[in-house]
Amino acid sequence: MSLDDALAAWATTVRLPDAAAEDVYRRIVATPAPRQLGARWWRDYTNDFTARMVASTRPARWAA
Amino acid sequence: MDRTSEFRELYDAHRVAVHAYFVGRTGDRWAAADLMQEVFLRAWQRFDELRGRPADGRRAWLFTVARNLSVDAYRHERGRADAEAALRHEPAVGSPSAHAAVVAADRVAVVSDAIAALPEHQRVTLALATSGLNSSQIATALGVPAGTVRYRLSDARRTLADALARYDRPEHGTEEP
Repeated sequence: MSLDDALAAWATTVRLPDAAAEDVYRRIVATPAPRQLGARWWRDYTNDFTARMVASTRPARWAA
Repeated sequence: MDRTSEFRELYDAHRVAVHAYFVGRTGDRWAAADLMQEVFLRAWQRFDELRGRPADGRRAWLFTVARNLSVDAYRHERGRADAEAALRHEPAVGSPSAHAAVVAADRVAVVSDAIAALPEHQRVTLALATSGLNSSQIATALGVPAGTVRYRLSDARRTLADALARYDRPEHGTEEP
């Protein structure tokens, strides 16, 4: 048995069995991914904020 | 392709190497599995960062996370029960003859002991090489020049070859009587 053969044999003794790797995968994807903010969130947020600010500070006579 | 399918591809492409990296760091494949899970869990949670990257960029991202994990906390944590559970997963190894099998097993044990005694940077590099990565890919994973990888591999192989040569001397009883 050459060094390369012995190394290959060693690698098989420390490799994670496929069944265990599959268990790990299932545990990971069962974890809910965090909700991501959409690309437009900041624009939408500031547009909404601006509109509310303008509406709330509108002079009373306009509102009448 | 949806998120889960794309993540599956990432996992299948890199899990062996990431696991091998942690085997090199911890010497324990079950602690390595825990750490590998931690890396891919972070990848799953931040997958949108990874999706647009090329293969090398994904590898670099995964191994940056791997290098930054606190490995010490995982060392020596796995108990005997885990080891026994692991053995139940082991496939039976066929052998052409009893003597040849014993000699082969002894040689693997010699190599295993020699690997355990290597400096950690050599052991990690060697573990990655046995996982199928080439020097350039290992360099990306470890963040070192490819020449350094080749130098470490050469040193490690020389040490292992010396260990096998010592084992093969007649006084160690591997010769037929």
